[in-house]
Amino acid sequence: MTTDITPTSGAASPPRRWSGDRIGELVFAALVFGLGLYALIGAFAIRTPAGAQVGPRVFPFLVSALLIGAGVALIFGVLRGRLGQREEGEDIDSSARTDWWTITKLVLLFVGVVLLLDVLGWWLTAALLFGGAALSLGAKKWWIALTAGLVLGIATQILFGEGLGLFLPRGWAFDAWYGPGPLF
Amino acid sequence: MDNISLLLQGFATAVQPEYLLFAFIGVLVGTAVGVLPGIGPAMTVALLLPLTYSLPPTAAIITFAGIYYGGMYGGSTTSILLNTPGESASVITAIEGNKMAKLGRGAAALATAAIGSFVAGTIATALLTLFAPVIAGFAVNLAPADFVALIVVAFITVGALLGSSVSRGIASLGIGLLIGLVGTEQTTGQARYTMGMLALSDGISVVLVAVALFAVGEALYVAARLRSGPIPIIPVTRGWRSWMSREDWRRSWKPWLRGTAIGFPIGTIPAGGADVATFLSYATEKRFSRHKKQFGRGAIEGVAGPEAANNAAAAGVLVPLLTLGLPTTATAAIIITAFQSYGIQPGPQLFQSQGDLVWALIASLYIGNVLLLVLNLPLAGIWVKLLQIPRPYLYAGILTFAALGAYAVRFSTIDVLILLIVGALGYVMRRFGYPVAPLIVGLILGPMGEQQLRKALQLSQGSMGDLVLHPFAATCYAVLIVLVAAGLWLKRRQNRYERALEASLAATTSPAAAVDRLWDEGERPSEVSTDTIRTEEATRMARAAQRDRHDER
Repeated sequence: MTTDITPTSGAASPPRRWSGDRIGELVFAALVFGLGLYALIGAFAIRTPAGAQVGPRVFPFLVSALLIGAGVALIFGVLRGRLGQREEGEDIDSSARTDWWTITKLVLLFVGVVLLLDVLGWWLTAALLFGGAALSLGAKKWWIALTAGLVLGIATQILFGEGLGLFLPRGWAFDAWYGPGPLF
Repeated sequence: MDNISLLLQGFATAVQPEYLLFAFIGVLVGTAVGVLPGIGPAMTVALLLPLTYSLPPTAAIITFAGIYYGGMYGGSTTSILLNTPGESASVITAIEGNKMAKLGRGAAALATAAIGSFVAGTIATALLTLFAPVIAGFAVNLAPADFVALIVVAFITVGALLGSSVSRGIASLGIGLLIGLVGTEQTTGQARYTMGMLALSDGISVVLVAVALFAVGEALYVAARLRSGPIPIIPVTRGWRSWMSREDWRRSWKPWLRGTAIGFPIGTIPAGGADVATFLSYATEKRFSRHKKQFGRGAIEGVAGPEAANNAAAAGVLVPLLTLGLPTTATAAIIITAFQSYGIQPGPQLFQSQGDLVWALIASLYIGNVLLLVLNLPLAGIWVKLLQIPRPYLYAGILTFAALGAYAVRFSTIDVLILLIVGALGYVMRRFGYPVAPLIVGLILGPMGEQQLRKALQLSQGSMGDLVLHPFAATCYAVLIVLVAAGLWLKRRQNRYERALEASLAATTSPAAAVDRLWDEGERPSEVSTDTIRTEEATRMARAAQRDRHDER
């Protein structure tokens, strides 16, 4: 049994190389700065009605100052090699690489929900979302994932849609067959 | 005593079978989600909010209170029984409980955590009952300028202290404030940052942002680096009849009380939340303990104290929440949203305008604590089962409920799209170590802060000086400086403390640490097998023993 060991030097010295993480952090820091600029420019676009003592611009100016200040501090921090501590969690394998393919699949599933929710109805969309997400995340048997999704979808539709009175779409097909009336 | 009779009235409301049922559901759901990794009370309340609009407010608030307290209980079960190397050690409470479980004393660890939580929760709720009406009575007379000061204090402390670095916290806060600005401004009716989109003219729902950040952001973050393989759960060996020995009781009761004394005050002030409280309690217990050597190897005091501190702080957080309308943690912020969604504004007037509801809520906190104690010890077996849920299904379920919650906010699929976008933001923030709590607090307090700022400036006719010169406001700013300085100092100490503790723990368990000890820097082999380490260690020990014998002669 061989274990990979990364040689660790005593103190955490600032990384000299430009790793992907560091570039990503710089981009996000720049984004914070950019948001501050956007807030500043946007604040000028807010119309101030005459006679108001404190207009609707005052607070946006303060917020943009906060964001620009934080952005500048962050950019300098990253340039000097001060990176953030990644958040940790019980289910996170800290040695694993980011699995972009899984993330892409999950994002696509959500886009699917946006497009299909009204057409298929909540229960069927939920079944697809749950089953698809479980399979993307590594569930072994596709029929268990989809069945569990269907059970969850129908249960939530009945509990929240019919029981607590939320307006959850039942789907075109169901409406065509059953009509709009109450289920029970 | 007037408050006592009000509290009794609250009990009369809370013990009605209907509300008891909601309290029961609340603590059950709360504990369940507390046990499940990846879900916290903030996210659960956010998810359930849009789904429970049709419930009467008292029932909903009682349920949410149950979830809040239940979540704290459940969390300790996870950290004690789930054996994930490395990560759980970053939470200081987890260390001792985890070690105890590995020594076969898991039942004692669970019991001291549960009973400690009950003791601390009950005492802290009693303190809340005593202090909250007094503070509310005082706060009624505060001027808008004073409220501006309080909100600034909350902003700065939450931004600066709830995270690994100050600039990251402030950036997170700023993003939250900016999201809070989107929409139609209340007094003048001007559109701000809507980019001309109709969907944004009502603003972005707080619930939506919370669900996106906590549920979708977290699920995406875990999905990117999901731990594969079986879930390592430490079995609880001893039966529930014999959970705590007389010795355990003797060693636990003082830490429970000390933890409560540390946790409650820290919870009431915005100084970094329960994290700091648990750390302080741990350090205190280590200092006072007669079993110092056991710390880091499963000392029961190290579970009892921090768990009590954690729960007492959770109750302490409710003091500024109920009396001033100030959230100091993410969960508190969500609970404020819950109040607001029923048209109730937490603040100084709450005890007068919604007295029945508040006292029923406080009474239900006492009841919830008892329910949790009664439920948790016998049900530990079920919680262990819950921990074994295969992770693909767990996170698929989280995502499905997030979509449901987002859609239920306004029954529009655009919200599901916003959910995805803000969820992506949550992912990136976690990835780069930005705390998400300041964002939520900023989002909720931002509009309140703006209102108060305007009122204050209108009263002072535009003079900024009055904002600072009000006696109470001036005191607030002075306290703010002290809080931030003390908070940052504490955080640094905590970090150093935790790192030292982790290092000493790792030294006994991980092969990398073993290599570090065996070979000097520069001579370390880049790839070794455990056998090499063992033989190397054995030869060195033999050599050392020889040398010792040599010296003796």
